[in-house]
Amino acid sequence: MSDGLTDDRPAVRVSAPVCRVEDLPDGASRGFDPLGEGRDTMFIVRRGDALHGWRNHCPHYDNARMAWRKDEFLSGDKSHIVCGAHGALFEIDTGLCVIGPCLGDHLTPVPLAVRGGEVFLPVPYRPGLRPRAGRGQR
Amino acid sequence: MRIIGPDEMVFGVDDLSACRTFLSDYGLDEQSWDEASGGTFTAIDNTAVTVRRRDDASLPAPLASGSTLRQTVYGVEGASVLDEIEAELSTDRDVVRAEDGSITLLDDLNMALKFQVTRRTFPELEPERVNSPGSEPARGMNNVGAWQDAPAKPRTLSHIVYFTPDMPKHEAFYVERLKFVLTDRFNGVGPFLRPRANRDHHTLFMLQTPVYMQGLEHLAFHMQGPTELMLAGSRLIKKGYESFWGPGRHKFGSNWFWYFNCPLMTHFEYDADMDVHDDTWEPRTTDMGPEASQLFLFENVEKWAPGGKPPGK
Repeated sequence: MSDGLTDDRPAVRVSAPVCRVEDLPDGASRGFDPLGEGRDTMFIVRRGDALHGWRNHCPHYDNARMAWRKDEFLSGDKSHIVCGAHGALFEIDTGLCVIGPCLGDHLTPVPLAVRGGEVFLPVPYRPGLRPRAGRGQR
Repeated sequence: MRIIGPDEMVFGVDDLSACRTFLSDYGLDEQSWDEASGGTFTAIDNTAVTVRRRDDASLPAPLASGSTLRQTVYGVEGASVLDEIEAELSTDRDVVRAEDGSITLLDDLNMALKFQVTRRTFPELEPERVNSPGSEPARGMNNVGAWQDAPAKPRTLSHIVYFTPDMPKHEAFYVERLKFVLTDRFNGVGPFLRPRANRDHHTLFMLQTPVYMQGLEHLAFHMQGPTELMLAGSRLIKKGYESFWGPGRHKFGSNWFWYFNCPLMTHFEYDADMDVHDDTWEPRTTDMGPEASQLFLFENVEKWAPGGKPPGK
């Protein structure tokens, strides 16, 4: 991490579904908080049958949150993912930044698996918010 | 050169209606609005944010980075200051004088600027008063400090922060040509600058970045004090807006801070209790980092209180 602090908290296997496919409006984005950290740490964009999962971290800054409001991760014309921090635009399917402060960088993907109409996280998921100060002290 | 500070920030945006909602939620007052062309929103002292459509032909040309910032408007003390700026800058660039006397130009990094006799009203307002042991209570007897429904309105446009692709050149423009004063510096990152007619620790800060990032990192409005800052920020959180950083308290400038993402695609900060300086101040320098940038940092959570059902019930 750029700040020299370490975040060694392990990734966690999330067995419960994050949502049902039918909960995801087509052409829109929705944020999720799989580890119950208190803020959305990932989001899903649905386009037809395709679901694209990304961490709610702009590659511009470490730990930079992207939505400008709950579930608002898309540009005005819904053609790109947008970062509400500085307006960077990302391709919805590749996560590539095509304009903005993190030009050429990629969002971090969140693999998704759909079973029985439900959306699961098939790989362990790392915490997304900064750890509490004082962690590890006794 | 008696420049006071940023009077108004002008943006070209994609979603006017979302910006209108946000600017009101942030606490600014709607001074004008048109569904097709946007409008202007003001703080208590009439400093302002204006939003237009991104393709509005009346705006200065956009930066290649796609930044929504289109113009920084500076307020100055009087018409003679505009003459002074025009005389200084017309030697090496176009300076356009409008009928109202304001002048527009590009700075050395092609950021669009406008200078005008300030639109600020300089209202007399109550400060946040804090009772502190060892001193006479500043709030006085029987005056209550906690008011859930306090308006908590932004008082005045405090400062702006640019992403700049050539920080030394950009700094030199403001210091050498516009006579801004250096208060402090993050080594290799950027200078904190105040114009001559402003005591605030900074009205302008810069971050060195690649050219494709050029634009506005954030703007900030001063709040009454830390209490109203926390109150206003908590209200934005409740409305679903994304906290970006804060609340906390910076070291350089000492100002409390809370930054939010927003549909103007920059950060809007609330700040409070910034240091003020005069020309006797000796600038400090340090390396930028989490320790240097803040005294402490908090994360807002839902309200909670101990209590509820007794154990075992």
